[in-house]
Amino acid sequence: MSTPSVPTVIFIGQPNSGKSTLFNSIAGLKAETSNFPGTSIKHTHSRVNIEGRLLDIIDLPGTYSLCTSDPAEQIVLTHLFKEKPDLVVNIVDASTLSRGLELTLELVELGYPMVVALNMMDVAERKGVQIEAAGIESLIGAPVTPTIAAHGRGVKELLDRAFEVIDKGQALRPRPFSDDVESQVLDVERLLPPGFPIFSNARFTAIKLIETSGHACGNFLGEVDPGLGATVDRARKAIEEDRGAPAYEVISAERHHQAMKLFEETSRVLRGKRLTWDKKVDAVLMHPILGYIILAAVFMAFFFIIFKVGNPLESLLLGPFNSLKTVLAARLGDGLLFYLAEGLIQGIGGGVAIVLPYFLPLLILMSVLEDFGYLARAGFLLDAFMHHIGLHGKSVSPFILGFGCNVPAILSTRILESHRDRVLTSILIPFIPCSARTTIVLALVAFYLGPLWAMGFYAVNLLVVAVVGWVISRFIKEPSPGLILEIPSLKAPRLGSILRKTWFQVYAFVKFAWPILIGGSLVLSLLSYFRADRLINDILAPLVVKGLGLPHDLGVTLVFGFLRKELSLIMMLQALGVDYQNLMTVISREQIIVFTVFISFFIPCLSTFVILWKEIGRKWAFVSAGLSVSVALILSWTVRLVL
Amino acid sequence: MEDRLNCIESTPMNLANAPHNTPLRIADLAGGESARRRLMALGFHKGDVVELDGRAILRGPLLVRNCTSDTTIALGRGVAQKVLVELVHEHS
Repeated sequence: MSTPSVPTVIFIGQPNSGKSTLFNSIAGLKAETSNFPGTSIKHTHSRVNIEGRLLDIIDLPGTYSLCTSDPAEQIVLTHLFKEKPDLVVNIVDASTLSRGLELTLELVELGYPMVVALNMMDVAERKGVQIEAAGIESLIGAPVTPTIAAHGRGVKELLDRAFEVIDKGQALRPRPFSDDVESQVLDVERLLPPGFPIFSNARFTAIKLIETSGHACGNFLGEVDPGLGATVDRARKAIEEDRGAPAYEVISAERHHQAMKLFEETSRVLRGKRLTWDKKVDAVLMHPILGYIILAAVFMAFFFIIFKVGNPLESLLLGPFNSLKTVLAARLGDGLLFYLAEGLIQGIGGGVAIVLPYFLPLLILMSVLEDFGYLARAGFLLDAFMHHIGLHGKSVSPFILGFGCNVPAILSTRILESHRDRVLTSILIPFIPCSARTTIVLALVAFYLGPLWAMGFYAVNLLVVAVVGWVISRFIKEPSPGLILEIPSLKAPRLGSILRKTWFQVYAFVKFAWPILIGGSLVLSLLSYFRADRLINDILAPLVVKGLGLPHDLGVTLVFGFLRKELSLIMMLQALGVDYQNLMTVISREQIIVFTVFISFFIPCLSTFVILWKEIGRKWAFVSAGLSVSVALILSWTVRLVL
Repeated sequence: MEDRLNCIESTPMNLANAPHNTPLRIADLAGGESARRRLMALGFHKGDVVELDGRAILRGPLLVRNCTSDTTIALGRGVAQKVLVELVHEHS
């Protein structure tokens, strides 16, 4: 019973519909190959085996509609049109059904074989919404299965229906628009020239031509095919004259009313059950005073927990590595072999014992905040402050993600609609202390000088972000378009999802960073064995010794800091030739602060630089690097003067 | 065209000045095309009934809930000023 080719199944749904949860509950259990981790911006691809049948399933970022100018959502369109999936799984949040159906109706227009997962039925019930799935099914002509993806409920039924559609096909029932609009659509459809690239079917293509005409992405048409361009313009003008509103608005409103009607025909809302627990919690979380107290408390707790978990873990894990080194020193003497072994142990020990203890709790807490839905609420609370640095609340979530790692944070700026906001946010993100820098700050500043110093460091760091943002926004004159941000309903974070997310990121870290940490450490060992590190140190001496007042030996660590920031920390110990516990014997408190400040700011790490280049272009990537160097110098000198 | 609500229509005001916790009908979406497309994609159209659920300090954003779909969005003041609404009086 082998099928000649593996069917492609695309998962599509509005943001926060539980799409990825559903995807993971299918891919995670039955995955034949591992999932490729990604941020929610990249897509995830997985081949799964379900009761002996193979499927290629693809999870795309959430999208509100198929007509979008949001770059993150445009990826969805590209995939949808390029991949020509054998099946679309449309995930709809049942608790906000009337809006979710708008995308569903658009997918019915698109006309690929599809099934609908009516997800989060439990939330809908709690809200007092009763939905008759069979009613929706008969009206749109596609299977509609109630699911609760978080508990794995309904997933099997959904898959059964999916295979049914793949095997037997289906007859979707696209709904015509009002007569005046529909006749214009038919006109364009009829006049599509032969050979015109048709997406799925002629009617859908015609609708999209009218919807996008006059809009940036629709303008190319006039150049490609002037005749068709004129037809589309005529249809658009006719609709606009009839309705007194732009054509895209009329079509969107048509779909909106179809969705509301479909909702009313198939659902009942029981009154009196509206104030659920999440509404009460939200009233507190976004309260004008309490909200900010909670926000501050969340951030303090965030770093406190990471330090309290990471610190003892670090001491515990470092012990064995140090004793191993002592043993090896006694056995191997002072030859090349010892240098290599020492480099290897420093590298592995650094990755395992210094970085991981802080990295792991940070990732877990970040996933908790993300899954709970707190990032959007933080965006709401901080919007007014963000205006002072020329941004708005939607940039808050990339910033917060930046505390984990700058790279996915910069990728996630694609959720911002305007190019200007993306550039400004991307330039500021490298100033956010990512987990690598948090490790350095906690391992050096908090460990040796106390947690209060580390807190102070963070406060100064955030101030730097604010000042740099304020300065740059003076140069980017274009106004910001303003905040339009969905506040998703609160969800209790689920352990499985948090562990899965954390695991993917740790895995990526181990795969990407450990080789660099170990390799870098080995290279430094070799350099010092052949005395070549002196050369680098001598070249950098004017900066390191004269400029920053640091030990001569630390010059070489700066070079490696460009690869990964944690590397500087590990190299620092190696370059100074001391154990972590004995660091204070060779370096002063002031030097620790200056070193931390300089390392944190002096340049975005290599991966951040590459992603900046890719996302906002070479010019801005260099602007960002230049800014970092200047800020690092100014701050380090200030610190030297003050202390 | 609405059968459930008998509305006594008042003069439109912008959403930023509208009263809280009162049903409001969107009379018009003004403002730039991209903001309007975004609002519509998020399910906010002319004729919809919405409620203001809260506001942030320092002229911060407003929390706007769509009563039909029960979705909530945060709207910056600038955007909210471009959304015109009128009071809806419900008689059941």
